[in-house]
Amino acid sequence: MQVTRPRLAALRTRRPWAAAALAVSLLTAAACSAGGQQIGQNQAGGSAKSITVDMFYPSPPKSVLAEFTKQTGIKVQWVEIGYDDLQTKISSAASSNTYYADATDVDWSKVGEYAKTGWFLPMNQWFSPASLKSDVPQLGTFEVDGKLIGMPFDASFMVTTVNTKDFKAAGAAVPTTLTGLTAALKKLQAHGMATPLDIHLAAAEGLSTCWYQMTAAFGGQVLNEQDVPQFTSPGSPGYQAIAWMVNAYKSGLVAKGNIQETDYNGLTTEMAKNKVGAELCDYAGSVGSIYDVPSSSSVVSQVRYVPTPGAHGAGPNVANPDGIGIPKTAKDPASAAEFIKWFTSAQNQAMWSGLNGPADVIGGFPLPMRLSGLDLLAKSGKVPQAAELETLLREHAQAPFPQGAPSWYAQFSNAVYTNIHEAAAGQESVQQAVTNIANQASQLKASG
Amino acid sequence: MATVVKVGSRRPARRGRLLPWLLIAPLVAFIALLSFYPTVATTVQAFFRVSPLDPPTRFNGLGNFRALFANSAVTTSWVNTVVYMVVGVAVSTVLGIAGAVTLRRRFRFRGIVLALVILPWALPAVDEAVIWNWMYDPNYGVVNSVLHSLHLIGGYHVYLGLDRWLTVVLIEIVQVWQMTPLSILIILAALQSISSDLYEAAEVDGASAWRSFRAVTLPLIRPAIAVAAVQSLVLSFNVFDQVYVMNGNAPLGSSLMLQTYLTTFQNLDFGGGYALSLTVTVATVLLSAAVIALIYRKPVAT
Repeated sequence: MQVTRPRLAALRTRRPWAAAALAVSLLTAAACSAGGQQIGQNQAGGSAKSITVDMFYPSPPKSVLAEFTKQTGIKVQWVEIGYDDLQTKISSAASSNTYYADATDVDWSKVGEYAKTGWFLPMNQWFSPASLKSDVPQLGTFEVDGKLIGMPFDASFMVTTVNTKDFKAAGAAVPTTLTGLTAALKKLQAHGMATPLDIHLAAAEGLSTCWYQMTAAFGGQVLNEQDVPQFTSPGSPGYQAIAWMVNAYKSGLVAKGNIQETDYNGLTTEMAKNKVGAELCDYAGSVGSIYDVPSSSSVVSQVRYVPTPGAHGAGPNVANPDGIGIPKTAKDPASAAEFIKWFTSAQNQAMWSGLNGPADVIGGFPLPMRLSGLDLLAKSGKVPQAAELETLLREHAQAPFPQGAPSWYAQFSNAVYTNIHEAAAGQESVQQAVTNIANQASQLKASG
Repeated sequence: MATVVKVGSRRPARRGRLLPWLLIAPLVAFIALLSFYPTVATTVQAFFRVSPLDPPTRFNGLGNFRALFANSAVTTSWVNTVVYMVVGVAVSTVLGIAGAVTLRRRFRFRGIVLALVILPWALPAVDEAVIWNWMYDPNYGVVNSVLHSLHLIGGYHVYLGLDRWLTVVLIEIVQVWQMTPLSILIILAALQSISSDLYEAAEVDGASAWRSFRAVTLPLIRPAIAVAAVQSLVLSFNVFDQVYVMNGNAPLGSSLMLQTYLTTFQNLDFGGGYALSLTVTVATVLLSAAVIALIYRKPVAT
């Protein structure tokens, strides 16, 4: 008994130590095994390369990605992240010099910012802008001082869509000018459609882009080549555009709920459910991907793209394409570049839009960024009005900032959508909104 | 012999003293890395100009703070956040007490009711904001539909985004809806620990239900009320999800956390973001301390 007691006491005192040691050992083992597993996986993969692609679009079909892996030996891990979250991830990871992806989104509005911060590798060593320009009309949006910051991967641009059946029923001609549009919308109202027009008015990026589109329709631009505001005078296109948008809302042409509708899909649903007859800041590709889908639309074969109604005739279409680039922290830039080449080839671009049928489509993908890809679609006859879209893209699409989006674009856009939203909500006048936006632009320009 | 015994008894005692520190060491290291270090780093960086758009990082004194208080969007966010906090803490605490007192009594399906009450707290804030956004929707929302069918409104109304205070109140309703269940649970736990002898004694003394609540219940659940109020304060002072989903980036209903997000990640003004985070942290700590000092007093022996 006397012998046993000390043993038990020793065990009692040792037990916590043993437990602590065991816990530390387990933690160490877990950490080592996690690291070991990673190394093991790489070893198992032999010479196979693996890249991570972070995008806000759904992944291409696995079978198609598998085909790319078979061709090149590069395995692609596609991570889908919401647009806003992805922008936060890009800025937080890049500013802390942390790896997060080998290829990711380069939005047109971020090009100036990325050129200044150097967060993306210039792609000129893999792509030749000179040889691509004739086939990729929006390539210039992604170039700054000769450096290609990103490669466009879709041809997103703003279009006007109208429900031709509604217009015909109301005895309204499809308009070619904004005055004609207003008259036609009033006829639609008289014919029973309470709020026939859809435009963005919520405090979100869509409102800023819509203003650039409306300013272009009035025949001008928001900033000149030196980034000086061009909208302060009441007769300027930018000023007129804000006044027109606010008036359209206050006069009842636009649904009151648009003031809080931040989601683009919310607006297209209005058109798809035949609540509105015209949408001024719609996106190319919406007819095929939304309005002509019988399961979710009651306006199949009724909605068409029309030339943008302008102040004195057809106006331009503002282009806001999405691009894909290689972050400076990428682990395998060469493989990422190879993937981007494959991803943006004419054949694949057409395939993402439905060339081979719905199985290979990327959900929500607007249009190929290559004219040759769009041509493939037009010839296939599988996308509604593909030929018209090709004409709009070739002849009417223009960048909202021909000199490129300024590096302070995000703050400028915030001032734009905040103030136009406030003007529409009746919190401030059009003049106040214009003054606030112009002041903010001037301050941002002065601070560089 | 005596010496041997002395040495033999000291070693385990020293080990015993060291052991707790060793056991909490991983936790301390974890907190130091994830909480202490970021706090110190944020405090230091708040006095520097940190922006990838304007390198290099350089000392800025109180420049970041001056810029923040000169920014009307930030001042609007401050006022909104104070409203979110005051209304949120007051309403969720009062509802928490009322809910806890109601649920203390045994009744049929109490378990189901408790589970349902917990649901808003258990749901992700973003999901809740999306659900309430639909309810407030001017075209399809149930709020308009119900008010219209009751003939309380003539036509369909827009609730969010037009009027500042209406927007703030409607967002706050969603927040209170989410915060209250936890307050109920915290206070309910305290209520259930009160001995029934005290109520019986109060009854013998001829105390009314209200008197019994004031003299017995309230003093004994005061610590729980303090905990509930502080958790509501922290949640409401740091409100982000509901504001972001229901108000977007509009200044009308903007909160300090949304403004911090915009300053940091939209404007890439990390120095400004650090400064704003620091002021929010200091304000939260001071307010929490004030709430605890106000409510959390030692229960008076009855």
